Amino acid sequence: MCGIAGIHAYLDVAPSVDRGELARMNLRMATRGPDGSGDWLSADGRVGFTHRRLAIIDLSERGAQPMHSADGALTITFNGEIYNYRELRAELEAKGCVFRSDSDTEVMLQLYEERGPAMVEALRGMFAFGLWDSRQRRLVLARDPLGIKPLYYSDDGWTVRFASQAKALLAGGAVSRDPDPAGIVGFHLLGSVPEPFTVWQGIRSVPAGATMIVDATGPHEPRQYYSVARSLARRAGEAKADAAGARAAMSAAVHDSVRHHLVADVPVAVFLSAGLDSGALLGTMAELGARDTLAVTLAFEEFRGAPLDEAPLAAEVAARYGARHVVRTVTRPEFERDLPAIFDAMDLPTIDGINTWFVAKAAHEAGIKVALSGLGADECFGGYPSFADVPRSVHWLQPFGWVPGLGAVARRAISSLGGARLGMHPKAAGLFEYGGSWPGAYLLRRSVYMPWELDDLLEPELLEEGLRRLAPLSRIAAELQAGRPLGDFDRVAALETSLYMRNQLLRDADWAGMAHSIEIRVPYVDPFFLAALPPGEVLAAVNAKEAVADIPAPPLPLASRARPKTGFVTPVGRWLREAAGAAQDVNFSTASRGWALRVWQTGWTSGLAPA
Amino acid sequence: MTIRILALVGDCYGAQGGIARYNQDLFEALADDGAEIVILPRLGDAAGLSLPRRIRQHPPIFGQLRFSVASLAAAWRHRPVNVVFCGHVFMAPLAWLLARLFGARYWLQAHGVDILPLGRGRMRRAVEAADLVTTVSRMTRRNLLERADVLPERVRVLPNTVRGLFAPGPPSEALRARLGLGPGPLLLTVGRLSASERYKGHELVFAALPALRAEFPDLVHVVAGDGDDRARLEQRARELAGDPAAVRFLGYVPEEELPSLYRLADLFVMPSSLEGFGIVYLEAAACGLRVVGGIGGGSADAIPDERVGVTVDPKDREALVAAVRRSLGQGRADQTAVEPYRQPHFAAAANKLLARLLSGAHRMKSIA
Repeated sequence: MCGIAGIHAYLDVAPSVDRGELARMNLRMATRGPDGSGDWLSADGRVGFTHRRLAIIDLSERGAQPMHSADGALTITFNGEIYNYRELRAELEAKGCVFRSDSDTEVMLQLYEERGPAMVEALRGMFAFGLWDSRQRRLVLARDPLGIKPLYYSDDGWTVRFASQAKALLAGGAVSRDPDPAGIVGFHLLGSVPEPFTVWQGIRSVPAGATMIVDATGPHEPRQYYSVARSLARRAGEAKADAAGARAAMSAAVHDSVRHHLVADVPVAVFLSAGLDSGALLGTMAELGARDTLAVTLAFEEFRGAPLDEAPLAAEVAARYGARHVVRTVTRPEFERDLPAIFDAMDLPTIDGINTWFVAKAAHEAGIKVALSGLGADECFGGYPSFADVPRSVHWLQPFGWVPGLGAVARRAISSLGGARLGMHPKAAGLFEYGGSWPGAYLLRRSVYMPWELDDLLEPELLEEGLRRLAPLSRIAAELQAGRPLGDFDRVAALETSLYMRNQLLRDADWAGMAHSIEIRVPYVDPFFLAALPPGEVLAAVNAKEAVADIPAPPLPLASRARPKTGFVTPVGRWLREAAGAAQDVNFSTASRGWALRVWQTGWTSGLAPA
Repeated sequence: MTIRILALVGDCYGAQGGIARYNQDLFEALADDGAEIVILPRLGDAAGLSLPRRIRQHPPIFGQLRFSVASLAAAWRHRPVNVVFCGHVFMAPLAWLLARLFGARYWLQAHGVDILPLGRGRMRRAVEAADLVTTVSRMTRRNLLERADVLPERVRVLPNTVRGLFAPGPPSEALRARLGLGPGPLLLTVGRLSASERYKGHELVFAALPALRAEFPDLVHVVAGDGDDRARLEQRARELAGDPAAVRFLGYVPEEELPSLYRLADLFVMPSSLEGFGIVYLEAAACGLRVVGGIGGGSADAIPDERVGVTVDPKDREALVAAVRRSLGQGRADQTAVEPYRQPHFAAAANKLLARLLSGAHRMKSIA
């Protein structure tokens, strides 16, 4: 779990790699890896890698990176964790491979030797890496299936550069800061920048679940080796168990995933809220034999003694499973003090991530390097209201789509009649236009602004060009391509997992966690785990989002189940609203609009030029 | 299997200029490796020329409709066609159509100035449908990606190459005497004197001459090239340079005589603001002549670093004077910086791009 970067001058006319540029990229990622720093430059000067290390597996110098294969032909700079590295290593050893270290990184080198870039399919974990294959003179870039670890690249036609952070690429000094209309429009629509775009035209994200080869002709198109929709479709085709069997399968899947996510040579903590998902993780950890686990909970002065205070319930869960409980109280002055650092760490504009910032900060203060998070449970168990709302919207409103133009007329009518004065959310005007299709209903559900509202915020040319390139509806629809129709639950799960979770939650967990040198592990975000769960319709039928409480033995306390799902109810929402300078009496979803603008104006509009 | 390429170009054999030259270099590199190429030009007649093996060129047809009909007929006659190569953005819709009709891959080459007015209609969509786009410079690639929604991986850079006749050598005193140039130093500019190419910046050099000649009294600006703007430029030279002897117009200089001119001169100066690539910079440097170019366009790609020369802001006269003064004291250009632009590197890169195009997925994107 670290920060990586590299440069490859692939055309003969390109100047050789500049060590100074590598060093500047490395420095920009200092908090990602405080335990070590390494550089490597190929003998001909055409490839250079750099690495910041947060040592978690094989703490010795033998685990240092960039790491070379025994014959020196392969070199890797790798960010992440491979949870099944011991199994893979045993397989390789059985075939005669000899290992020099106990690190997962070396397993990746030997696995590449055996299988080439397709080796990513065998990896269980979170990863982003650059691997130089000097025999074939090619650079392989790869990212984990669900997009937990980030990887950005920039190609100017002569030289390709990659890094864990977009801002590190800029810090190198050779990458253009021309704005990217698609990414900018995407942020204003959704509150996070949808990959593969960033807000800079010259920087793109390697897509989640993709590998990318760079040879003497430059980068090839990314090759997708994993798709959420396809894997859910495959799962839907499997035999359906009865309710008891389904619950057992769920429990076995969570146990297996947590067991894998505990692999570390340092203590593993847990971010504990009052919800079921993180409690189930802690309970499962205890059941698997983790003792004296540190559990970190955020609390806020404003909520002390109120039902919104998560600390008391979290304390009960922590006590039940014998965890050491740390309650970290965040105050408004601290939030305001941290804001400049938050904007600096925020790699791409986003309207979220503040809670993760503080819980990671608390974990760091407690001396922790690794923590499990319940992120992703809502996506796989159907915890969001969208699992009910989006299918309902599509089924009711589909007929309106049969009359072309009717939706747009309805939207204009509602807008001109002053929907806002009637207390309607501005987005409601789009219900008839968008609500009848899967991509439209999803966009309506997840958007901060709708496309027709952006006229007031963005330059007309940028908006038109951005919408054309972003093509939000077809981009959303593409995430439903599974080779066969998916059920309602799986459709929403595919959209939430490959859009909201990937572009918002996981990216925020990365920058906010790494800013405090905390590796956030997400056992609910794991293709092996997803594949082991029962089919989506069965999860819906057994009410998986509540059945989670019974996964650990002993199960979660009754009080946990009784607590209504509250969503985003930290006062951070209110602080953001006030920091954004919006009116007091608006609901959070419109408040996030003010915050979106504040983020954009503070962090990005000065020439798109963060330090 | 022999790869067959149908090439729609503005001009190639039997024509002058950088783009014709580039097309010849590219087709020869591909034909050397075994490809068969049929060239359909709009201008330039190859009749009477002996073309390299596996390369054929049809007579030029300028009219758009006749050209389209002729290209359809040629594609039919030469089928199967594996690749339709399009040498100019304006022909992209036709190239797209031919590739689609004949099941070929579609390779578009963009040179720089041709992509400026891309617009929003059919032309843009035809560019976006290309399987492979090559540009001569990084700047052209960036401009193209800004104007068209093409996957960046599909847009590759294939820089111009410098031919073998451009190589260092001793200066010819006989040439100096024949041209009556005096002891120098000699500043040299090579380029068309065309009213449509005033961005090349001849007048900026004229305007810098009084300041430079105050320091180097025998300095002469030698201008090679001809065109419809010559009379005006001669008039401007008289007005700006102060001394009629300060600028010497040579008219058109055939390519084979350029190397000796480069070897004789002391500095190549062309503060151009819009060069698609600027092959002349490289040719000068390949003969050992140090270069002062202009910031803008693709010049940065032909002047990669200080070993070859510098680029200055064409609007900044003092910077130009300072760059000339400094460069005159720096000796000849470093040949190691020119080596990657030599033909073997170009040919390898071109053939790898062809292989990449042929191995990629066969996509036939609709532009309707």
